[in-house]
Amino acid sequence: MKFYVESVSKCAQRLGTLSEIDAKPSVSIKTPAVMLHTQGGQIPHITHEVFKLVSRDPQILQIPLAGMHTFKEAMQYYEGTISNFIGSKDSLTCLTLQDPCNITKQGHNSTLKVPIWTKNGKVYYDAKSYMDVVESFKPDIYFLLSDGDTNISSSEKRISKSLSNTVSFYKECLERHRKSQTLANSFVIAPVVGGYKQLAREKFLKSILADVKDVGGFLIDGLHNNGPETEFLEFAEIEPVVKNILNKLPTDKLRVIQGCWNPVNVINLVEMGIDLFDSSYCHILTERSAAMTFAIEPTDQTDTYEINLRDAKYLDDFQPILTGCNCTSCTKYSRAYIHHLLSVHELLGPILVMIHNVYHYLRFFEKIRKCVKSNTLQALQVSITEQFQNHQKTK
Amino acid sequence: MTTKSPLVFTLIAECHTTKARVSRMVLPHGPVDMPVFMPVGTQGTLKGMLPEQLEELGLQIMLANTYHLGTKPGVEILEKAGGLHKFMNWNNCLLTDSGGFQMVSLLKLAEITEEGVRFQSLNDQKAEVMLTPEHSIEIQNAIGADIVMQLDDVVRTTNPDKARIEESVHRTTRWLDRCLQVHKKPDTQSIFPIVQGTLYEDLREISAKDHIKRHVNGYAIGGLSGGESKDDFWKIVHLCTNILPKDKPRYLMGVGFAEDLVICCALGCDMFDCVFPTRTARFGCALTRTGQLNLKKEKFKKDFKPIDENCPCNTCKNYTRAYLSGVVTVYPSACHLITEHNVVFQMRLMKDIRESIKQDKFPEFVRKFMLDLYPNKEYPTWVRDSLSAVNISLTL
Ligand SMILES: [Zn+2]
Ligand SMILES: [Zn+2]
Repeated sequence: MKFYVESVSKCAQRLGTLSEIDAKPSVSIKTPAVMLHTQGGQIPHITHEVFKLVSRDPQILQIPLAGMHTFKEAMQYYEGTISNFIGSKDSLTCLTLQDPCNITKQGHNSTLKVPIWTKNGKVYYDAKSYMDVVESFKPDIYFLLSDGDTNISSSEKRISKSLSNTVSFYKECLERHRKSQTLANSFVIAPVVGGYKQLAREKFLKSILADVKDVGGFLIDGLHNNGPETEFLEFAEIEPVVKNILNKLPTDKLRVIQGCWNPVNVINLVEMGIDLFDSSYCHILTERSAAMTFAIEPTDQTDTYEINLRDAKYLDDFQPILTGCNCTSCTKYSRAYIHHLLSVHELLGPILVMIHNVYHYLRFFEKIRKCVKSNTLQALQVSITEQFQNHQKTK
Repeated sequence: MTTKSPLVFTLIAECHTTKARVSRMVLPHGPVDMPVFMPVGTQGTLKGMLPEQLEELGLQIMLANTYHLGTKPGVEILEKAGGLHKFMNWNNCLLTDSGGFQMVSLLKLAEITEEGVRFQSLNDQKAEVMLTPEHSIEIQNAIGADIVMQLDDVVRTTNPDKARIEESVHRTTRWLDRCLQVHKKPDTQSIFPIVQGTLYEDLREISAKDHIKRHVNGYAIGGLSGGESKDDFWKIVHLCTNILPKDKPRYLMGVGFAEDLVICCALGCDMFDCVFPTRTARFGCALTRTGQLNLKKEKFKKDFKPIDENCPCNTCKNYTRAYLSGVVTVYPSACHLITEHNVVFQMRLMKDIRESIKQDKFPEFVRKFMLDLYPNKEYPTWVRDSLSAVNISLTL
């Protein structure tokens, strides 16, 4: 797999393409793009079969290790790749360490190993056991192992530990990658750690940038501990950190950020030159029975940003979630039906909400790419920000 | 003057050995090929399956529960929505129960009088509510299912009090008449009477004979599958199908295990429903012709075969037992995958039964089916007895 970028500026919005994928030569992914967040190999609530009702375009599935740890042993005997195993052979896969929807608990870090939280509790991975999994999963893209357990309030000591752990993971994983026949075509993403301390970030970059020949892209790691709180991070706080990193990264490599950023911050990050996100925001919303209703196009018929379908006012509201939306949920089901399903805890409730949310989010990214192309991202940012602020006021 | 019938029944083929038959009924929302298994979509949805997925599978009819829908979303919303078909976007046929059984089984405090079933509502007010035959039909009219059930006086098959059971038989017929009287949509909905009488053959006979005097489009056999022994169960089914007319569908309520379906088809039943295939999916249990697979078991962790190699469902085409084993009971979408397989399993079984009857090879089908299930030929007594009552010997 190769990444081609159409711009050479350090810290500015840009268009790119992921293509020349070994097993899928006809597939290419345009960036800025969103990976589809999965848990246990499925987009939460939506099986791969149902996803075909949402989109038939090629997608990258984000596969957090936490939900896949249970298959560690089975995958050593399985002949195919992880995308075959999870029942989505036509998708690309990106193996990640942590799940952006679940809080990475703080204070469980250790020397030269990192914890993940599986259904059976805490499990530690070191560079060797992590790369064993990567080799047996054979993902198209994977994050190198990192200790990204830092946030805005992390101590110097924690940051320095995160740095030393991640530098040695970087070296060990990359060495293993270079020796591996199986991973010859896998696209490597190197996490960049260092919390909110500029000096630490710079120190980290210095220790890895000399040797990035086999690295396809970078993950801006260590900004948050995942989970729903990422949605409410203040952009002003993360902006200087991200800017500083992007200014030092080679421009021709993919830039990835993980987490359920709200749409306003997604645009802000795109403006700075981030290429790849994930759809965990859709899941976070669906879990609180909320559907995205913000206008993407000026012609969209909506005066809300987000609606909560559990609200009793939808009891006899036979309109779709979002008038004019072409997703399966909006073309066939009403708010009243979805409200009924949610209030009696039926499985179909979150399915219909999630279908709409993923559809809307994919449409949002399509619009972002169009705006970058036509140099009109600013207008989209103004519109989404205004809708977001009005929503905050009415809450 | 002609009135349009909401149920047109055609007998297509009969088995020359047993009482099994293939037929088709045309309802306002389309045809139903019988014998048919109807999965249960209690609250206007079937365990995480989208209605369009079910349509794609070729499902012709499903069941919904009046008690649940009457409570939530309630008659008012259902009427505003234009009925359950529109509310849930299901274009094929629906059948609703009367709500009576749900009450007696779900609510310990239900009290039955001549007027109806009195119970304490499950909603927050905990008010005392009365479900009468009239009220049940009113709710079922609002739901708008193609087939609706009369409110019946359900007595558990394990209740030994014959006087009480005799009372329930006559009361059920009186309630049938009250239901038919207040039915507002006879052009689009058929009310089925329910034959009661628990395990007393004389009472079952009275019940069935009373019901067949009424002008209705089909009949149900109720009050079974409630903990009675299989030896008692099949005899009552056999007796009822001997009395019920051949030119109308016969619906055996609450039956859905593969083995029971095969036998009750042989005994002449046409329609079945049961929550089991969809409920069990939730616990990671997949159905196959050789028995049930509990996918949570350790032995499937490295089993890269599908649930069933011959199954055409999406789950069997795309997923291994090893994968399913790691996700069942952990993620809701895994439950949808097993549900799809189990629904397809039931539909395929019924289709195979229909095909074998049409080719007049049903007895061979039954013998093969039982051998797959009991490879060492240790057939349960009730299986041998019930099949020999319809001229199939398993010892051949
Ligand atoms: Zn929609
Ligand atoms: Zn299957």
